[in-house]
Amino acid sequence: MSGQDFISLLPLTVLAATVVLIMLAVSVYRSHILVLLITLAGLTAAAAMLPLAAGSGPRRVTSLLVVDGYALFYTGVILAATFVVAVFSFVYLRKQQGQQEELYLLLLLAALGAAVMAASSHFASLFLGLELLSSSLFILIAYPRGRLNIEAGVKYLILASVSTSVLLFGMAFIYDQTGTMQFSRMAALADANAGVLFTTGLGLLAVGLGFKLALVPFHMWTADVYQGAPAPVTAFVATVSKVGVFALALRFFSQVGIRPQAHLFLMFALIAIASMLAGNLLALTQDNVKRILAYSSIAHLGYLLVAFLASGPLAITAVTFYLSAYTATTLGAFGVVGMTPCRGREADAVEDYRGLFWRRPWLAAIFAAMLFSLAGIPLTAGFIGKFYLLDAGVGSSLWLLVFSLVAGSGISLYYYLRLVVVMYMRPRGASSGEATASCPWAGSLMLTALLAVIFWLGVYPAPLIDMIQKTAALK
Amino acid sequence: MDVTFYISAAVAVVATLAVITRYNAVHALLYLIVSLLAVSLIFFILGAPFAAALEAIIYAGAIMVLFIFVIMILNLGPQAARVERIWLKPRTWLGPAALALILAGELIYILISGGEQEPKAGTAVVGANEVGIALFGPYLLGVELASLLLLAGLVGAYHLGRRSGSEGSDSPGSGRPNGEKV
Repeated sequence: MSGQDFISLLPLTVLAATVVLIMLAVSVYRSHILVLLITLAGLTAAAAMLPLAAGSGPRRVTSLLVVDGYALFYTGVILAATFVVAVFSFVYLRKQQGQQEELYLLLLLAALGAAVMAASSHFASLFLGLELLSSSLFILIAYPRGRLNIEAGVKYLILASVSTSVLLFGMAFIYDQTGTMQFSRMAALADANAGVLFTTGLGLLAVGLGFKLALVPFHMWTADVYQGAPAPVTAFVATVSKVGVFALALRFFSQVGIRPQAHLFLMFALIAIASMLAGNLLALTQDNVKRILAYSSIAHLGYLLVAFLASGPLAITAVTFYLSAYTATTLGAFGVVGMTPCRGREADAVEDYRGLFWRRPWLAAIFAAMLFSLAGIPLTAGFIGKFYLLDAGVGSSLWLLVFSLVAGSGISLYYYLRLVVVMYMRPRGASSGEATASCPWAGSLMLTALLAVIFWLGVYPAPLIDMIQKTAALK
Repeated sequence: MDVTFYISAAVAVVATLAVITRYNAVHALLYLIVSLLAVSLIFFILGAPFAAALEAIIYAGAIMVLFIFVIMILNLGPQAARVERIWLKPRTWLGPAALALILAGELIYILISGGEQEPKAGTAVVGANEVGIALFGPYLLGVELASLLLLAGLVGAYHLGRRSGSEGSDSPGSGRPNGEKV
C-alpha cells in the first residue's frame, strides 16, 4: 500500500480510530454526552476526509476495496445518516437508566461496515463489511435489553445468519465457475463460460442480499424487528444498512450485468413487483406506526429495484438520488416516532398520534411532511425521487414494473394520509392530559434540518443531481 | 484421494444430520465435534493443511470445549451426577466414536501412503507460509476489518451479558447468560 492508498482510505480509518477512541474514553470515564460528542466529531472528521480521498482520484486499494466517487458519495450519505441517528439516540436514551455509551461504539462500527460494503470490489470485503454491519446491528436492536428488544435481536440474528450462509453458498458457486473473487474480473470470465452453476450462484447471492434489503419473499423479519428495536436503531436499520447493501448490490450487478442473464432479470422483476404490491398492501392492515413504516420500507426498496433493473447511466443517478431522499425522509419519520411523548414507552400505536397536532404542532407538521415525502407528493424529495425512478423505468420500457410502481404509490397514499388525518383529529377529552415533555433542542434541530433537506431536494434538486452525475457514475 | 474425500464428506453429512436430530444438547455437541473434524480432514485432503489445523484446534477444540463447559456448568444441581452417568452410557458415545474412528483410520491411511499426497490437477498444497503472506499482503485490510468485527462481538457480548443490577438494585438471576456471539 502506498501513501496515496492511505489518503484514499482516510474516511474509513478516521471512523475506525473514533471507535478505538470511544472504547478508551469509556474505560477511563463514562459520560454519555462526552461519548456523543466524540462520535459526532469523529463522523464530522471522517466526512471532512471525503474530499481529500476524492482528490486522489478513483483508486483500487489492494484487491479488496475501490475508493471511487461512487463509494465516497455513499460513504457521505452513510456518515450523515449516522450523525442524525447518533443525535436521535442521545435524545431517546438520555432519560433511561443503564450504560448507554456502547451504543455509539456499535453505531460507528455498523456505519463502518456499511461504508466498506459501498467500497468493496471483492467477495472478502463484501462479506466482512456485511458481517460488521449485521453483527453490530443485532446488538443495537437488542440494546435496551427489554423482552421485546431481545426477541427482535434474536430474530434478526437468526435470519441474518441464514441469509449470510446463503450468500456464502452463492459466492462459492461463483468462485467455482470463475476462479476469482473480484467483481471486475468476474464479468469478463462470466461471458466466456456462464454455466448453470454461475447463474445459480448469482441467484443465491441475490437471495442473500434480498434478505438484508427485506425484499418480498424474504421480508418476514422486517416488521417484528422494526417494532422491537428502539426507534433510533430502527431508523438506522431502515436507512444505513439498506444504503450500504444496495450500494453494493448495484455495483456488483452492474459490473457482472443482469441484462444478459434472462432468468436473473425475471427473478428481480418478480421480486420488485411482489415487494411493491405486498409491502403496500400489508401496510394497510397495520395499527402500529413502526410496522406501517416497516412495510412501507419494503415497498420503497421495491420501487428502487425498478431503476436497478433499468440500464444506462440514468438508472444509477435515479437510484442514488432516491436512496438519498429516502434516507432523509425515513430518518425524519423515525425521529418523530422516537421523540413523540407517550407515558414512559415509545409512541408506536396509531392511536398515540391522535391529536398530536394540537399538543405538539411542530412535531406533527414535520411528521406530516415526512409522510408526504414518503408518499411522493410534489414539493418534497420523495416526488423528485419517484419521478426519476419512473423516468429510468420508462426509458428502458419496463412497463409492467412502472405500472406496479404507480399502483403501489396509489395504495400507499391511503395509509400515509390516514396517519396524517389521525394527527389532526381533536384529541379525545381526557387523553390530552399527557405530559408535554420538553422536546430537547438537539432533536428539534435535527428534525428541522431534515425537513429543510427534504424541501430543498423537492424544490431545487439540481445541485444534488449534478453532484451525483459527476461523482457517483460507475465505470 | 477421491475415495478419502467422499468418505470424510459422508461422515460430515451423517454427523451433522445427527446434530440436528438429537434432543440432548451434549449428544448433539459430540456429533458436532465429529462433523467439524470431518470438515477439517476434507481441508487436509484438498491441500490446505493450515486451514485443517485451525479447524481442528479452534472449532473442534476450543469453541466446542467451551460450549460443553457452559452446558455442564448450567446443569449444576442435585441431579447433575445422575445426568452425567446417563451421558456416559456407551449408547451415547458409541455413534460419535465410530465416526471419529473412521476419520482416524482415514488420516492414518493418508499419512502412511505418502503424507503430502499429490494434489489433484489444478490445485496445489497451500501451507501456513503462503496463508500468512496472503493475509498480511493483499488481504491486510481484511484482517483489520475482522479485528473490528471481533470488537463489535466483544462489546456486544459485554453489553448483553452484563448483569442489569450493576447500576441499580441488584436482583439475583436477572443477568442473562448470553455468550452466543463468540
